[in-house]
Amino acid sequence: MSVSQTKSQFVAVASIAAELSAVMDVAKEISLAAANAKAIAFRAGEKAKGFQPITDFINELAKETIELVNDINKHASYLYQLTVDEYRMTEACDKFERVYQTSNNAPYGSSLEQPLHEVRQKMQQCRKSFNVHVTELLDQLGEVMHPARAARVIAANSRIEASQAGEYLQSLQAVAESVDHAAQIIHDKVQRCRSALNVIDLTD
Amino acid sequence: MKMTKIYEGSYQWIMFGRDPGKPEKIIDTNQYVVRTANRCLLIDPGGIELFAPMLAAVLHHAPVEEITDLFASHQDPDIISSLGLWDQALPHAKLHAAGLWEGFLRHFGCETIEYVPIADNGGVIQLDRVELRLVPAHYMHSSANFNIYDPEAKILMSGDIGAALEAPGAPVFVENFDAHVEKMRFFHQRWMPSNQAKRAWIDRVRELDIDILAPQHGRMFKGDDVKRFLDWFEALQVGIAV
Repeated sequence: MSVSQTKSQFVAVASIAAELSAVMDVAKEISLAAANAKAIAFRAGEKAKGFQPITDFINELAKETIELVNDINKHASYLYQLTVDEYRMTEACDKFERVYQTSNNAPYGSSLEQPLHEVRQKMQQCRKSFNVHVTELLDQLGEVMHPARAARVIAANSRIEASQAGEYLQSLQAVAESVDHAAQIIHDKVQRCRSALNVIDLTD
Repeated sequence: MKMTKIYEGSYQWIMFGRDPGKPEKIIDTNQYVVRTANRCLLIDPGGIELFAPMLAAVLHHAPVEEITDLFASHQDPDIISSLGLWDQALPHAKLHAAGLWEGFLRHFGCETIEYVPIADNGGVIQLDRVELRLVPAHYMHSSANFNIYDPEAKILMSGDIGAALEAPGAPVFVENFDAHVEKMRFFHQRWMPSNQAKRAWIDRVRELDIDILAPQHGRMFKGDDVKRFLDWFEALQVGIAV
């Protein structure tokens, strides 16, 4: 792991944590929008009959997104820990090699062979583990895209249903807009997470 | 890295310092090693940038598996910010440091080394048959501060007490006490916060039989210079920045 690699890896993993935190906020907003829409649809009665099941969908999607993001967050924290571990192992390996080179005439210089061997193994293990978890994280991020896409479809349906709701038209359209907007933000944030991960060099 | 044997009996005390490869803006530090038959204690093993030259130097005296103990005297990074690297090099070692400091010190990385917390009233480090006393020196720089006293070698490793800022390559012992005073004055006035703590420490240390007072920076004091230092320090007002 070179210095620039280390930096980009730390930055990438930290950026993911920041983006995910924003996704979580937006998912919570969707959940709130669903509750709001439910109340409006209830007041609108027959005029918003088609809107009522949509609110349940929106709520489910928000819940699903929150759960997925919680999982991804745990994964991202673990990736961060692995990055710290790998950084420490790389530094140890680098320093041990320096000691090994400069202590060749020291009577006990060879006693460092075993720790050097062990730290190299640990470093490789960290790298392997990191690569596996990055791949898994990319898959999970792909999964978050599904509810975001579904939310956009639901927002389109919501607009149609809102048009039937008479005086409640504007309120329900506002709900549809906010869901659509939130879904777009989630989509963009997740894309950014994926781009951040793609800059990491995953070669062993 | 300069190595100076300061005690040679059935075991040794070795001082390491004056590292010529030290980065310019990093303070020069003295590291001490107590080498007994089967064990080796590193006293204030140093900052992270010093790890490689320090370990390379210690390998002249002991194999890694016999470097069994580390001691950190007080809460500065130049004491032991190298801990994370020692943690990988010496997985079976023990770290003796203030219990109060543990939660902070672990930020340097301490997963495999065993942390042995030092109680406020001190304790001992047993190295084979050699018993080293951990002498409280609280607030003599940091709230949890300890010195190591070896009653057989009559050495007191005093951490930052007695420290001086020196030019690179300065001799390891004080040769002219009066000339040395100005290299210590500001450091002690500014970095030691409490006259009360200073008096308590001096009272405690005057009861010890000391041949060498060995600080973490600058030169060591031996013979009559130890008493001269205690007298000078007793008269000095510290904690001047309030």
